[in-house]
This record gives sequence, structure tokens and C-alpha cells, in this order.
Amino acid sequence: MKITLVKKLLADGSPCKKCGDVLQKLEESGYMSRIDEVLVADERDPDSAGIKVAAQHNVNRAPFFVVEEDGKAPVIYTVYFKFVKEVLAQKTSETDELKEIMNDNPDLDYI
Amino acid sequence: MTTEVLDTLDLDRHLQSQSPLDVIKYALEQFDNIAISFSGAEDVVLIDMAMEISPHAQVLCLDTGRLHPQTYRFIDRVREFYGIDIDVLSPDAAAVQQLVKAKGLYSFYKDNHQECCGIRKIAPLRKKLLEVDAWITGQRKDQSPGTRAGIPVIQDDKVFARPDASLTKFNPLANWSSQQVWAYIRDRDIPYNELHDHGYISIGCEPCTRPVGPNQHEREGRWWWEDATKKECGLHAANGR
Repeated sequence: MKITLVKKLLADGSPCKKCGDVLQKLEESGYMSRIDEVLVADERDPDSAGIKVAAQHNVNRAPFFVVEEDGKAPVIYTVYFKFVKEVLAQKTSETDELKEIMNDNPDLDYI
Repeated sequence: MTTEVLDTLDLDRHLQSQSPLDVIKYALEQFDNIAISFSGAEDVVLIDMAMEISPHAQVLCLDTGRLHPQTYRFIDRVREFYGIDIDVLSPDAAAVQQLVKAKGLYSFYKDNHQECCGIRKIAPLRKKLLEVDAWITGQRKDQSPGTRAGIPVIQDDKVFARPDASLTKFNPLANWSSQQVWAYIRDRDIPYNELHDHGYISIGCEPCTRPVGPNQHEREGRWWWEDATKKECGLHAANGR
């Protein structure tokens, strides 16, 4: 299994807050060792590796994870807690999952 | 029915130019196990269109426990008008109780609406979506320029998909304006939520919804105490391709 994390640099060159939060969680929980590669999606550079991977997998947000296994199609995770639960097989709190979903998907407000 | 992963990007380019009715027709043809999400407001047009195509389409509705009495009456009226079952989903009682015990009944005015909406809407929705292969929403671009300007007509829903499966989300009304929705409702003389006659445009839970005045955007009638523009997670360079 290969796990790639794509993080984002904003148009002004600063790192996105959510990416920082996710990286901090990965470091603090010790899960960072499970990440094989970290790519940067630089909004100033459409040829940056992260932007290309996002385009390849039809992802329009960051951070996200690409999970690749031999003989299987790559799986994309845009929800950190979903990734932790399903790929790293760790327990997560539903409250944290819901909070992340709501914060990252404001389009769900009107459902 | 297909269970193959659809190339939603290419399909979206095609479906963007299709009418909502054609999009719903396509969705119902592609998926047997598909549910229409009905909020108890003007998205009743989705049900009306779907009934034209298939009287057996599944309809779900999120009962947060905080809706207006008028909305509850409207949901039942729609059920009777079309002669359909509406799967009214309730939040987990223990989760609501825990929130209320910790923060009271109006915590959303102090922090924000996300925690309450997460428990009352998103958790039951997520649970239900684990059972289906696709869903249809009434999301429109004009509902909130800050958060919905880029919504596609069809998308691969990575947020609510089951592990090792795909979930397809259709937004047939994405390119319709509020005016077009209302022209449809009037032309077809279909039922609508009586709150619309009292200045409400967008309708959600009672504490988080208010009528708006002339020339106010409908977004101003929802969560008006919060900052509406929050969209940092979008990948803008990728969006432009």
C-alpha cells in the first residue's frame, strides 16, 4: 500500500490552515510514519505535483489522501477521519468526523 | 442499474446543459438504488419531476426535530399529494441529548451551527447514504454564492461513500435560479411550504431561519449571525481546468 498526502499552498504562498491541522494530527498521533509521500498543490503553479494529482483524480479540495494498492484502483479520501478509520483502521469519534464534514463542506448547509 | 464508477467529470460537462428533468431521468435510469433528498421546501420540484419518470423513486427527508410546524405539515401534504412514502430520518436521540445537556438548546447562536447540524442532519444523512448507490439533492448555485458557486450537476461523492464503493450525487437544479424553480411550482400548481407566503425563501430549522426583506439574498435568512464566506479548502487552480 502506498499512501500519498496532498497538501495545499494558497495563492499568496501561505499554507492552508486545514492542511496544517491535518499534518499536526498525523504527527501527534504517530500516523505520519504511515504516509509514504507528501505532495504540494501550489495554487500559484498549475504544474505542481499536487495540482496534477488532484486533476488526475478529479479532486477539488485539499488536503486529501491517495491510497494505492496493487491491482486496485486508487482510493481518494478527502475526510481525514474517514481516512484514519478506513485505511489506518483506527477508532475515531463521530463528533469529530461530523464536525470535519460540516466545516469542509459548507454546501451541505442547505440539504 | 450500474455499479461501475462513472466518469463524473466528463458526464458533468454533458449534463450541465441538460434540463433538471433530463438529469433526473438520467439518474433514475442509471441507478435503481437512489434516493431523493427533500428538505421540505422548494426542492419539492425534484419529487414532482421524479414522479413523472418513476413513481417508485425513494424520497428521504431529514427531520432535525427543530423544523417549523408548517414544514412538518408540508412534508405530510407532499406525501399525500404524490401518494408516496417519505423516509423521514431522525437524529440519534442520545447524541442530541448529550449536546443539549452540555450546551443547551441554542448552542448554535454562541459557537456556530455546524455542531448541531452535524448531529441533527449530517449523522442521519450519512447513515442513510450508506444504503444507497446515488442520491439527488436540490442544491443550486444561486443559493449561496460563497459556498455553492461551483457545485456540479453530477459528482463522485467521496464524503459519504461506503468503504470500497462509490456514491454518485446529482444536483439537477444546480443551474436553475430561484425564479425558475418558482415558475415551475406555479406552472405545475404543485404544493409548496406555506412559509414561502410569509417572506421565507430558504427554509431550514426554525431557530436558524428567518424571513428576508426585498432585495435581500436568501442566504441572509439562514445563520445570519455567522460569516457566510468560508471556503478555504477548495483547490482553485484545479477548479479552473
